[in-house]
Amino acid sequence: MTNILRLALPFTIWLIGFSAIYALQGLTCSRHWPEELEPRLALIGGAAVFVVIQGLALAALLALQSQSRFVQTAATILGTAALAAALWTVLPVLTITVCG
Amino acid sequence: MTQKPPRRGTALRLHRQLERIWSPDPRFRGWLTTNNNNDVGRLFLAVATLFFVIGGLLAMLIRAQLATPGSAFMGPEAYNQVFTMHGTVMMFLFAIPFFEALAVLLLPGMLGTRDLAFPRLGVYGLWVYIFGGSAVIVAMLMGLSPDGGWFMYPPLSSAAFSPGIGADVWLLGITSIEVSAIATAVEIVVTVLRYRAAGMSLSRMPIFAWYILVVAVMILTAFPPMILGSLLLETERALGWPFFQVENGGDPLLWQHLFWLFGHPEVYIIFLPAAGMIATILPVMARTTLLGYGWVVAAAVSLAVLSFGLWVHHMFTTGIPHLGLAFFSAASTLVAVPTSIMIFSWIGTLWKGRVQMKLPMLWLLGFFATFVIGGLTGVMLAIVPFNWQVHDTHFVVAHLHYVLIGGYVFPMIAAVYYFQPLLTGRFHYFRLGAVAFWLVVPAFHITFLAVHVVGLLGQRRRTWTYDEGQGWELLNLIASTASFVMAIGFALVILDIGITTFSGLRGKRNPWGATTLEWAAPMPSPAYGFASIPIVRGRYPLTDDPDLPQRIARGEGYLADTSRNRREALIVTTTTGKPLQVAVMPGNSALPILLAVVTSTSFLAPLVQAYWLSALALVGVVIVALVWVWTTAPRQSEGLVDAGHGARLPVAAESPDPPGWWGSLFLLVADGVHFGSLMFGYAFLWTVAPNWPPPSYLVPTLLPVLLALGGAAALAAGPRLAARAVATGHRTALALVLSLFGALSLATAAASVMLARQDPAGHAYDAALWLLAGHVGFHAALAVIMLGYLALRRISGHGLRVGEARIVSLWADFTAATGLVALAAAWLPGTFA
Ligand code: HEM
Ligand SMILES: [Cu+2]
Repeated sequence: MTNILRLALPFTIWLIGFSAIYALQGLTCSRHWPEELEPRLALIGGAAVFVVIQGLALAALLALQSQSRFVQTAATILGTAALAAALWTVLPVLTITVCG
Repeated sequence: MTQKPPRRGTALRLHRQLERIWSPDPRFRGWLTTNNNNDVGRLFLAVATLFFVIGGLLAMLIRAQLATPGSAFMGPEAYNQVFTMHGTVMMFLFAIPFFEALAVLLLPGMLGTRDLAFPRLGVYGLWVYIFGGSAVIVAMLMGLSPDGGWFMYPPLSSAAFSPGIGADVWLLGITSIEVSAIATAVEIVVTVLRYRAAGMSLSRMPIFAWYILVVAVMILTAFPPMILGSLLLETERALGWPFFQVENGGDPLLWQHLFWLFGHPEVYIIFLPAAGMIATILPVMARTTLLGYGWVVAAAVSLAVLSFGLWVHHMFTTGIPHLGLAFFSAASTLVAVPTSIMIFSWIGTLWKGRVQMKLPMLWLLGFFATFVIGGLTGVMLAIVPFNWQVHDTHFVVAHLHYVLIGGYVFPMIAAVYYFQPLLTGRFHYFRLGAVAFWLVVPAFHITFLAVHVVGLLGQRRRTWTYDEGQGWELLNLIASTASFVMAIGFALVILDIGITTFSGLRGKRNPWGATTLEWAAPMPSPAYGFASIPIVRGRYPLTDDPDLPQRIARGEGYLADTSRNRREALIVTTTTGKPLQVAVMPGNSALPILLAVVTSTSFLAPLVQAYWLSALALVGVVIVALVWVWTTAPRQSEGLVDAGHGARLPVAAESPDPPGWWGSLFLLVADGVHFGSLMFGYAFLWTVAPNWPPPSYLVPTLLPVLLALGGAAALAAGPRLAARAVATGHRTALALVLSLFGALSLATAAASVMLARQDPAGHAYDAALWLLAGHVGFHAALAVIMLGYLALRRISGHGLRVGEARIVSLWADFTAATGLVALAAAWLPGTFA
């Protein structure tokens, strides 16, 4: 089972991170957001945390090798791809107005 | 395998013994009580095909109406019903059940086991689907169909704008079908993870098993948001709980989120099984092996998860901020990467092999020609400005049919042709199949290329007619004419397969020269599948050992001993495929179909306002379910049994993690996603619904909070202690009482929320509180029932198994954890307001 989880982990983190950033964006544009906090900074901060966690996940997969070679290769591919996906999907945070 | 010299007649004797043990009841009764995957899968496949025919006839009605401008063939009311039913039937009653049917039929063979993990659950899923689907069709024939489009957006689908029971038919019927899909998905996941040939490690699994594993997990995570959405909309329609009514604190956009959280993954739930079939068939047709197995597995996994992060791209025109659009546009373009990996793997496979132009291959070429275009128009639609231009035009209709027909129907036809010899033992001898192909594929392209163009010219989808003089006449006429030709082609396919099934030539085993285990079973597969559980040493067992089928038949694998006189299968470790336990499979029984009857009654009775019947049926569900588990639980301990090859293994039901524990685990995954969706809906309304905050918040008092905390702790601890007591032979009574106490206090805390807010129809906030409390109450009730079962088991002197106590413990943990979160969510806003 842990080997299955190993395969599922990288993109699950991506999904959670991506949804969290989207939720954060929704929150920054909502009535609950405190005015003195700059939305873009919060989003960039959130995105940075997301990317770092995604990177850590890859590092962990590489550090704690699976006893199955097949699983290890597939997990490494997935970890790298998920990191690339995380970088690509948070890019808009840098370039686009937050609530317009 | 062992080198015993083969004794003549061994295989035949083994076959006779196994046949006796595994055969269904005789005559008609057999159809109602069988749980053999061959029978269940065949019926499943036939019913799904029937729904394809119904959906296709509806499509013909649509095209007949659109053939000419201002057509008087149908009025707008009829047209709305017809296209809604066409979309609904195709997506829910054909596409998903059809691949599930194939999985039920083929998985045990591919994995080298004798049946699916929970044969009775499969029967249950089948019949719930048959009853729910029939109800939807009967309602249509009575003119009571839903007419709000297959995605049922409120406010159009709300009680105010869709009076009558059409929308309720959709919500209740489709939900019951989703329940059935979840049942089958649980069965598939546990089978792939645990029930395999000895030595079949993860990297030796046939590629289809990977795909279907991924898809089954997707069903478990994608259907719950939709089930929640249906629950919300149905409570709004029936009881006035205003989840989607802006005036009362609801928000119709919530439906769109919940629907597309399901709806986009659904597209991949449909495509991935087809991709799995392609990856299975293509290498055999090209006489080689699949290129880049590991990459393909990684691509399937990533595509599955990515598809859950795209849902908002169906909502590009709802006025969400630009940044949100950009997120989902970026994520949507990402899916091109894993899809391309799969396509390149297939092309590379063709490249390195020598292609044989057999009928399945022909259909795969049809797939390639079509799917690539569908993928390209998909990428176009992911680009926001383009999407705005063609939103809700026939361009979208053309795109989705390129993907669905090209990416799903064509590969599935290839699969049916490919597996027909295995399933029926017969081969086609007419050239009808090729004729049908050359009717369907060109006609398909003519139809939907024309539909692309009229879409770009501005023709709206879901609109019953159009005016003359816009330059659309000829294109529509071409599309309609070609679609009739396509329909004739599809009819010929079905005819061809029917003829072959009943009168084709008998042929030898493994006609295509395949390398995977399903072709090692006799053709057509007997009820028991394999005479003994094969031992595999590589990914291509039939290449590694051409004599494997004979060895299996002679009983040289595991579990060839029939002296225990019961249906047995092997459970292996997930990663390495090492034999672990012996699973005892249930015999023929009418219980699953009975459970399906009461379940469907409780779902469908509200349609005719028979709420009492629904409640009564729910009691029936509990009773039948209890009888079911009671009668399948083992009576006495056996210790270790001889599995062959010197292996002495425990019986699965006596181990701490019996199949039921694994099944519960994955069912709880679905339940957890359902709960997560509920929390999402609540948070969504709290953040963006216009008429918030509500007039007042619920302010918690100390007693319920204490009850909740204490109850959750007791509920988590009690069953654990019970499991430990069973394992060490101590008394369980105290632990059971503690658990019961926990469940009841949690339920009381939930009841306090309802008592404090007595008008759930007043504001969406109150309605949400009732649902949160309802979730807690429902699960506490389930816990009480399960604890009652454990107690009864003990009192009756049957003795408890550790596994049973651990299953209850799993559910109790879930109840305690989600209970605390739900109640905290109910209480927090009021605490800080
Ligand atoms: C047999 C050939 C088929 C034809 C000629 C056809 C034709 C059509 C047409 C013309 C529409 C648009 C109606 C409108 O918006 O006014 C439509 C909608 C749709 N079709 Fe098909 N279809 C076919 C097969 C399929 C299949 C196999 C599937 C799924 C597996 C499918 C799924 C859908 C869906 C989901 C819709 C959207 C319904 C809605 O707007 O609510 N169709 N079809
Ligand atoms: Cu989508």
